[in-house]
Amino acid sequence: MRNVSEFGTRPTVDSIVFESVSKVFRHRPAFFNWIGKERSGETRALNEISLRIPAESILALLGPNGSGKTTLLKLISTMLLPDAGRVLVGGADTRDEPQRVRQLVGFAVAAERSFFPRLTARENLDFFAALDDMPRRERKTWIEFMLTRTGLLHAADTLVMKFSSGMCQRLGIARALLKQPAVILLDEPTRSLDPASAEEFWDLVRELPADGATVVIATHSFQEAAAVGDAVAVLHQGELAGHRRIDRDAAEDLRFFYAQTTGTLAERVSLLEACS
Amino acid sequence: MIVVLRRDLLTALRYRSGFLLTAAGTLLELAAFYYLSRAIGPGFRPDGVEYFPFLLVGTGFYTFMVLGIHSFLQVVQEAQQTGTLEVLTTTSTPAPILVLLSALSAFSASALQLLFYLGAGWLLFGVHLPAPNVVGGIVIFLLSLVIAMALGMMAAALQLATQRGSAVLWLLGSGAWLMTGTLFPVGTLPRPLGLLSQLIPLSHSLTGMRLALLQGAQFSRLAGEVAVLLLFCLVLMPFSLWLFSYAVRRARQLGTLSCY
Repeated sequence: MRNVSEFGTRPTVDSIVFESVSKVFRHRPAFFNWIGKERSGETRALNEISLRIPAESILALLGPNGSGKTTLLKLISTMLLPDAGRVLVGGADTRDEPQRVRQLVGFAVAAERSFFPRLTARENLDFFAALDDMPRRERKTWIEFMLTRTGLLHAADTLVMKFSSGMCQRLGIARALLKQPAVILLDEPTRSLDPASAEEFWDLVRELPADGATVVIATHSFQEAAAVGDAVAVLHQGELAGHRRIDRDAAEDLRFFYAQTTGTLAERVSLLEACS
Repeated sequence: MIVVLRRDLLTALRYRSGFLLTAAGTLLELAAFYYLSRAIGPGFRPDGVEYFPFLLVGTGFYTFMVLGIHSFLQVVQEAQQTGTLEVLTTTSTPAPILVLLSALSAFSASALQLLFYLGAGWLLFGVHLPAPNVVGGIVIFLLSLVIAMALGMMAAALQLATQRGSAVLWLLGSGAWLMTGTLFPVGTLPRPLGLLSQLIPLSHSLTGMRLALLQGAQFSRLAGEVAVLLLFCLVLMPFSLWLFSYAVRRARQLGTLSCY
């Protein structure tokens, strides 16, 4: 099987930096709030996060649902803009130089609905590759490669609306990796994958830093974080509760670290049991 | 551009019954207008031309413009509903360019529909066009296309901001149906509405198209309408691009790109 590096040079970034980043989502209740109740106020998704992700490494973002993992990934990708602070990807500010950042970042979103349902897998990848300015002569070969690596070659000419959630997830990963980005963002990438496929996927992710990529993977699975991460950042209610290297720790050690950094041991462990 | 056209063509072809139903609907609409004009009688000659050709150009071009504007809104709406909008805004292609290309693709379909409409009216219902100024018609068409694209970008910005652009567009479209001379000459309206209609680009597009196609008017007679349409182009296009870019940026700030 061909290696990623045979398709040309992947760009690199020196780091991803969060400088006191906050993100707030405001809730504006509807005019007819006296008929049905809609929440007002705001949700502080991230609160003064300062974090540096070194190049050619894998950072696992660990935390339960609603802790701010996806928000953090979206801030790197420029899908969202920070309300305070700034995010730098390879020195480029996501607010001031969004186009430059987008050329460096590939994002495998958690949502299954992010493809054109009446196009095949191959046609979808071709479309997005063209939007990312991938030369036409490279697209066909590179798409074949990615479909093979993600186990979708047999379904390459199937309409995406007939895909299962796991297949959509794999296609999202293929799309994120297609342009050989310097930064790869993965949002709960094995959520819908069977265990064997998840193992294969972890092998793929582990190869990426050697090829020059920086990977940020959001997960609420200790097993996943331990399997692939070089470092872990624990998010809890929008705050950075802890950050350290993990050196392929056992999942149990990560579980303990999480509990230590986020509060009451018994309470957190039981919450995490439910998540995992 | 090619990948966008290919995407939309493949999607349209995979809705198999769409083409036939659209063609059938168009022919039924033409028949209704034809028999309406016969019922009104040959004595009614708006702007000095027979009523059916007047209607044909008016309704055909109105539909083309409104469908074209709506296609911009629809591009954003579909992207919101399919969940592709967020991902599309993270590609190397800027969002306004993406919407513009997608809507051009839809405009191509609307232009084919307009040709079919005019062609069917001419061939099936015996519309007589004495020496039309085709070049003049093309100039009016192209200027109107640019204006429709600008209005479409503004509709797309509205959809991004409110997720309810269709309702607003329907209201504005109904107003345009009344005030731009689609079904009857603008001179029929009360004076205040007549003055207001001069501020709507479609009024000048329809006047220009009818002069060129139905009366064979030369450029000297078309110059006034061409000048007004050109002015609309120069003002609306840059403003609409700025407005859409602002709407995307605001949606990224508020986190509403995925809302619909």
